[in-house]
Amino acid sequence: MVLEATMICIDNSEWMRNGDYPPSRFQAQADAVNLICGAKTQSNPENTVGVLTMAGKGVRVLVTPTSDLGKILACMHGLELGGETNLTAGIQVAQLALKHRQNKKQQQRIIVFVGSPLKYEKKVLEAIGRKLKKNSVALDIVDFGESDDGKPEKLEALLAAVNNNDSSHIVHVPPGPNALSDVLISTPIFTGDGDGGSGFAAAAAAAAAGGMTGFDFGVDPNIDPELALALRVSMEEERARQEAAAKKAAEEAAKQEKGGNQASSSHDATMAEQDSGSALPAEDKRVNLMDDDDALLEQALALSMNDAKSGNVAIVDADMSDSATADQDLAFALQLSVQDSAKDLSTQSEMSEVLEDQSFVSSILSSLPGVDPNDPSVKDLLASLQGQSEQKKKEDKPESESDK
Amino acid sequence: MASVASSAIQRGQVDLVDFVDWSSVECLNQSSTHSLANALKQGYRDDDGLHLASDADEQLLIYIPFMQVVKLHSVAIKGPEEEGPRTVKLFSNKEHMGFSNVNDYPPSDSVVLSSENLKGKPVILKYVKFQNVRSLTIFIEDNQGGNDISIVQKIALFGTTVDTTNMKDLKKIEEH
Repeated sequence: MVLEATMICIDNSEWMRNGDYPPSRFQAQADAVNLICGAKTQSNPENTVGVLTMAGKGVRVLVTPTSDLGKILACMHGLELGGETNLTAGIQVAQLALKHRQNKKQQQRIIVFVGSPLKYEKKVLEAIGRKLKKNSVALDIVDFGESDDGKPEKLEALLAAVNNNDSSHIVHVPPGPNALSDVLISTPIFTGDGDGGSGFAAAAAAAAAGGMTGFDFGVDPNIDPELALALRVSMEEERARQEAAAKKAAEEAAKQEKGGNQASSSHDATMAEQDSGSALPAEDKRVNLMDDDDALLEQALALSMNDAKSGNVAIVDADMSDSATADQDLAFALQLSVQDSAKDLSTQSEMSEVLEDQSFVSSILSSLPGVDPNDPSVKDLLASLQGQSEQKKKEDKPESESDK
Repeated sequence: MASVASSAIQRGQVDLVDFVDWSSVECLNQSSTHSLANALKQGYRDDDGLHLASDADEQLLIYIPFMQVVKLHSVAIKGPEEEGPRTVKLFSNKEHMGFSNVNDYPPSDSVVLSSENLKGKPVILKYVKFQNVRSLTIFIEDNQGGNDISIVQKIALFGTTVDTTNMKDLKKIEEH
């Protein structure tokens, strides 16, 4: 599904009158061009394809890169054979046509049909190849027709000069009863690179092989192309998602191994502390910590849900019937839990900050049934736990809450 | 220390690497194993083991768009003695240049790097030509030793931003 702009260079020289590729070399070429255009536009609807001829009176661009398949098929109609192929000029004009493509995000590709004998030296072809590589243009070569000595080697040299990460390909098609397009279907020129395989090509190949089985998803793209396309896209998405999930799992595994201290979420803090055994030498201490963490986790969750009742779980279990004793118990329990958390959570996890937070403590206090935040003993307790400056602010808040 | 002074940023200028629009950065003729990110991205560019290398020949064409309009003050290019760049041409606000049309336009500035520059000393540019830069194209024409491959270890751009609207900060007005 690569976004691509393609220029196809057709050989319409005198050598194409030969009939060694049925029905004639030129007709076989035209069929192949039609199939390629169809495959490209189907694999990505934003792909564009253009066509130019290399022989005749000179290099002539028949249609500039477009996604309109009808225009491309129409321009193949009524082409005349004659003259000699000018390969270098053809490739240069193709490069220029690609340079002026409308969508600059498209990758550039040239497909050239070389049917006539090559009159260029290897060096010239290599220079052209290097220039194409420099401008990041990929090149596909279809070597057919005349096979004078040296032609395959020269074309291979051209391919080697232009090839960048296997994006360019060459196909040598010997003469025979098989149609040129059939041979091309199974090549990477048609199927694209890697998993850009188009269902179109697969279906065409299957049909050519004579069987109706073996479709990608049990759906015949010829009958229902949209469904086949949708299935293919969803499979690719699923694959990509799985890859991303696998990558993420690998990353998380790496993170846990490091035992990151600066955890951003409480969940990570719990996990990190479980892993960093160095901070907790004794075994039972660890168990305590995990219990505390769970309790603290519950507190944080409860606070965020504005449900203060469950927040009392860790702090106080005793009944709040007698306010005086309850205050003392409460103070003691608070101090204990704060100390514990301050000691154990030496890392800067949010738990310790939560407990040391003045507002958290006072909001829990205010929600307790028997406790009056304005009671002097509670005030003293608060002052002893936290800084003085925040107390005034907290008085307003618990007052409003106790008025409910 | 001389080396510290040479790499210190001029007063008032910031490193523009934060304003680079990474999704549209392009580099023509780069080697697939040694790509532009090695020279430009924070972290990679300070690692001397990672560098940007050219592929088919010694020229490189780097296109760097910015997320907002900037003024470019100076540029620091670090590279090895022999394969580091020598002639560097800078074009401001020219999109999608190719090797064929680099010589069609006069560059906004053209610099010949000395060995001091290759160690990291920034080159001060013609500030007046870079007052309104949306994108920068760097054309490395040849290298110090005339080698087939040019190698760049670090490209750092210094300048200031022009206050333009950052589309991401635009928020819809709440209607009451």
